[in-house]
Amino acid sequence: MPMQVPWLIFLLPFLSFLMIGLVLRPFLPRYPRLAGYVTIGAVGISCALSFWVLGAVISSPGHMLPVDDIRWAVVGNLEMHIGVMVDSLTAVMVVVVTFISLMVQIYSQGYMKGDPGYMRYYAFMSLFTACMLGLVLANNILFMFVFWEGVGLGSYLLIGFWFHKPSAANAAKKAFIVTRFGDLGFLAAILILFATTGTFDTGEIYKLVAAGTLTGTTLTWVAIGIFAGACGKSAQFPLHVWLPDAMEGPTPVSALIHAATMVAAGVFLVARFYPIFSHSPEAMLVVAVIGAFTAIFAASIGFVMNDIKRVLAYSTISQLGYMMLGLGVGGVAIGIFHLFNHAFFKALLFLGAGSVNHSSGTFDMRLMGGLRKSMPWTYITFVIGSLSLAGIWPLAGFWSKDEILMNAFSNNPTLFVLALITVFMTAFYMFRAVFMTFHGEYKGGAPSEHGDHDEHPQGPHESPAVMVVPLVILAVMAVCSGWINVTGFFNGLFEGDVEGAVHKIGFLEGFFGTLTHPLPLASLLIALAGIFLAFAIYIKKWISAEKITNAVRPLYTLLSHKYYMDDLYENVIVKTFLYNGLFKLFAMFDTSVVDGTVNGTASAASSAGSALKKLQNGQTQVYAFTIALGVVAIAVVVYLFG
Amino acid sequence: MIMEHIQFIAPEISLLCFALLIVLLDLFITQKRVLPVLSVIGAIVAATFIIVIWNTPPVGLFDKMISIDPFGLFFKLLILAATVLVILASHNYVLKFNKFQGEYYALLMLSAVGLMLLVSAINLITIYVALELSSISLYALVSFLKDKKSSEAGLKYLILGGVASAILLYGMAFIFGLTGNTCLTCIAEYVRGMPFKDLQEVPALMIGLVLIIAGFGFKIASVPFQMWVPDVYEGAPTTITAYLSVASKAAGFGVIARVLMTVFGLPVWLHNDWAMIIAVLAAITMTVGNLVAIVQTNIKRLFGYSSIAQAGYMMVGLAAMGLTMGTKENVTGGLIFFLLSYTLTNLGAFIAIIAISNKINSDEIEDYNGMIKRSPLLALGLTICLISLAGLPPTAGLIAKIYIFSGAVNMGLAWLVVIAVINSVISAYYYFKIAKAMWLGTPVTEEKVDASWPEWLALAACVVGVLALGVVPGLFMNLTTAAVRIFGI
Amino acid sequence: MLTVGLTHFLILSAILFAIGLFGVITQRNVIKVIMCLEIMLNAVNIALIAFSQSVAPVSLTGQIFAIFVMVVAAAEVAVGIAIIFSIYRNHESIDMEKFNILKW
Repeated sequence: MPMQVPWLIFLLPFLSFLMIGLVLRPFLPRYPRLAGYVTIGAVGISCALSFWVLGAVISSPGHMLPVDDIRWAVVGNLEMHIGVMVDSLTAVMVVVVTFISLMVQIYSQGYMKGDPGYMRYYAFMSLFTACMLGLVLANNILFMFVFWEGVGLGSYLLIGFWFHKPSAANAAKKAFIVTRFGDLGFLAAILILFATTGTFDTGEIYKLVAAGTLTGTTLTWVAIGIFAGACGKSAQFPLHVWLPDAMEGPTPVSALIHAATMVAAGVFLVARFYPIFSHSPEAMLVVAVIGAFTAIFAASIGFVMNDIKRVLAYSTISQLGYMMLGLGVGGVAIGIFHLFNHAFFKALLFLGAGSVNHSSGTFDMRLMGGLRKSMPWTYITFVIGSLSLAGIWPLAGFWSKDEILMNAFSNNPTLFVLALITVFMTAFYMFRAVFMTFHGEYKGGAPSEHGDHDEHPQGPHESPAVMVVPLVILAVMAVCSGWINVTGFFNGLFEGDVEGAVHKIGFLEGFFGTLTHPLPLASLLIALAGIFLAFAIYIKKWISAEKITNAVRPLYTLLSHKYYMDDLYENVIVKTFLYNGLFKLFAMFDTSVVDGTVNGTASAASSAGSALKKLQNGQTQVYAFTIALGVVAIAVVVYLFG
Repeated sequence: MIMEHIQFIAPEISLLCFALLIVLLDLFITQKRVLPVLSVIGAIVAATFIIVIWNTPPVGLFDKMISIDPFGLFFKLLILAATVLVILASHNYVLKFNKFQGEYYALLMLSAVGLMLLVSAINLITIYVALELSSISLYALVSFLKDKKSSEAGLKYLILGGVASAILLYGMAFIFGLTGNTCLTCIAEYVRGMPFKDLQEVPALMIGLVLIIAGFGFKIASVPFQMWVPDVYEGAPTTITAYLSVASKAAGFGVIARVLMTVFGLPVWLHNDWAMIIAVLAAITMTVGNLVAIVQTNIKRLFGYSSIAQAGYMMVGLAAMGLTMGTKENVTGGLIFFLLSYTLTNLGAFIAIIAISNKINSDEIEDYNGMIKRSPLLALGLTICLISLAGLPPTAGLIAKIYIFSGAVNMGLAWLVVIAVINSVISAYYYFKIAKAMWLGTPVTEEKVDASWPEWLALAACVVGVLALGVVPGLFMNLTTAAVRIFGI
Repeated sequence: MLTVGLTHFLILSAILFAIGLFGVITQRNVIKVIMCLEIMLNAVNIALIAFSQSVAPVSLTGQIFAIFVMVVAAAEVAVGIAIIFSIYRNHESIDMEKFNILKW
């Protein structure tokens, strides 16, 4: 594989962004669709190249490709290097990112059709994809941080894409601010790392950790700092509050950024610096506990949400918790395997929700119902995604969830129990969503959030092919993507030895054999129980939802207020503490000192400029006099000090 | 011996011949469009000669009057490139002085000949003559529009330039009086051989040094010899402003670097002295340039102050260069790289300004409002050049600044770099003021602004160069380090 | 007895240079300003020739330099006068203080 390939994977979407921003938008504003084609072309080629890289990584010894740094420039004594890191983690991540991005870009052709911001949308999407790929490929923690902020920026721009809606603008702001808290930790970790090791290079850091140069409390604090950054991006408790609000963005954005890729960046970050974590048991425990807690916490909120995207958002938080748990109790392979599968089925579910919205004009499940007849493709793919998410054999979600449970079982029984309960809850809330949306009677819908209304036929209808095809492709992946590890292939890839791993067990033996073990069987039965409960309540109405609600009214209230986390942040922390306390102090400081200084500096600069320009009075002879004076002045200074 | 050296000044001779040919042809032909073609051909012929002699080992010609070395040849190519770009950019502008097109091109080329000789001169006499050849041509060119502003600018340039060259000459006279020689290397040998005590007792060397710095300081627009710059830039024909701001300044830096490095390079205390003078002047120069630029409303005048500020950054490189003499450090190519980057960037900006002002007949920044709607490409090109001037990625300006500043830090000029970085931040304000007007302002009229194909060609060349230097600076680094290697000890 | 030596020539040269510079700075008539410029250059010529006489009497370098300076000065004056013509046509005046459209 030529060395340029990993670079191209990153550069193509970036060029697409530049092309749309600098050429298409200024010069060809009448042909918005060009922007879509450029993006799809760039991401498509990137995707093909990513598969090439994955193939090369699989076939190379140790599953690590050496890619030479590019010595960008030698400026005096300063050498500037830029480089990429291509190992199994990178290869899997680029495939996930480019593949999902490609599906979402194709889908958006239908979803965003006729939106006045069509070109802007694709420009941002390209920028986001490029930053995400840059983050995954970078071999240097400083560049990673730059791209990390870059994806944050992309997310901010896209959440607030419909910035004329105040809720969208606020959500964008909230996401930006909340994740900044986590980034503070990340930044601190980078600084500590650089102060103790003197390097930003990931490979170097690995070596130093392995050699034991970096140990003890420093290591733990670095790990915690990195995890804080990861918590912000991956919406882990207590920094999860931004993700549900981020659903204000266009649905394909939610699918790409807030389901499959950016939110997984936190998981990726922990995986990338796994050697640091694995040398610190404390940090590992923190990761596992936060992960498990977030998983069950978010799932419980998912129980009572009526907005389909919010159900999915809480589900995403919960599943990200699962991944963290997997990293904490298992290893890189376990966590990333779930990330890999989750990306497909969650993107599918979001795009499905978008398709539903495209037809019904709302995200409120109470206004839907009965859509399975009018939207068969959306229905089938959505059910597949839900089954996969619930962890039903033999779909993708089953395999990765099973591994996490197994590892949790052998490492930490408490966390295992939490995870098992989450399985039940996940299955329940997903099928609650399926039944409310697609079964029963259609309840009317609402006006669409986007695009042109005239072209749409009235009433629920199936989405255009350009939206359905990505759904189908993703559905196929949601079924099959888990099979890659039936023989232990995926784990082998991350442990550096595919050959050794795959021959242990045959495919069919692993495929069916898993059901003979008690643990997978138990989790499968629990998931099925969850689905059955949903079926009993929402289809057969054997149990009345209202009755349960009334019976556990306080609990319901607690859940539907999301454990009052938002209120805690808004009222207690933000209003009381920050606004009335800290911010007031800041404001005072700001107006009196900072503003004073800034305005002072600015006005001092421009009044100094105004004063100096008066010297330039246009009189040639004054200039000549200045020259003479200057010569004398320099001579005097040289005489005195020379 | 003279004849075999002729080939080494073939570039200058050929350019001179073409200039004279143009003046003559201008008398006979009516199709004036031939003239720029001819002058571009002349420049290309000269450039070809330079490339042919590129690899000859450094040699002093005509009894050490002129030297052929990578340093001089690099500057010659730079000057020729600037000349060609200015000629291309003049395509529409020359219509303003229709009757004198021949003289315009010929004078431009004569001034280029002067600058080319200036950067390769290694004798005080040749330096003076070459300097005046370029200056006198430029005096005429500056007043070429013959209106109030242009002739006032020409007069100011002439008188102040005259004072500056008198000061320079006076300095040269002292150096000559001290050493009895006018060739730079002979002077350097004499200075190195002098006992320290003698140098302190006879102030001639220091007086000469100060006067020479002042004389060249005028050319490179260093404070306090910079006051002509904004006035002349504003009054001169815009094409000549562009030429002045790059070619004349680049040659000025070339010659001041050569004189200071060869004559005053060693002993160590001597270069420490002048490096410190240059460093202090650099700090004042960039600060004055930037502060006054903030309050400008005329774009040509703003670029005048901007070019003063940029001269300040270049002087940082010059000071660092001086300090490397006699140390183990390699002489840094920062100054040369900066000049290359600045030449392309500033020319690019001026070409866009020329094309725009041809159409809107104004140099006020407020008339640039909404230019993105009237001519997206010109606005984009100008914006890229402004980004480079402000020193932001991914352009040449950033690399040039990093290069020059890192060299200065290595040489212990950290205080100066701090001032320079603060200045860069200030400068971003007024560069973005122009960009903001173009991108966010509301246009006074929707009328499109277009440029002729030679202008597009020149602008494209500059913008591509600016981006190439910013993205793959490595390709050009070797060139610039090779150019300064002749000063290595 | 007083011998006229290098020092005297240099003092003369310095005085002339100062007079020239003073004139450039103070004279309001453009022609006079140009003349004062010439005085400055001639002051340099005196210094050059005096130096040449005392430090390099054989090679005549200083004298040659002085001749170059004179030639160049002549060319400069020619261009200067042309510019003065042009400015006179525009302003109907050759008063230095009137030429200040370009400022600030």
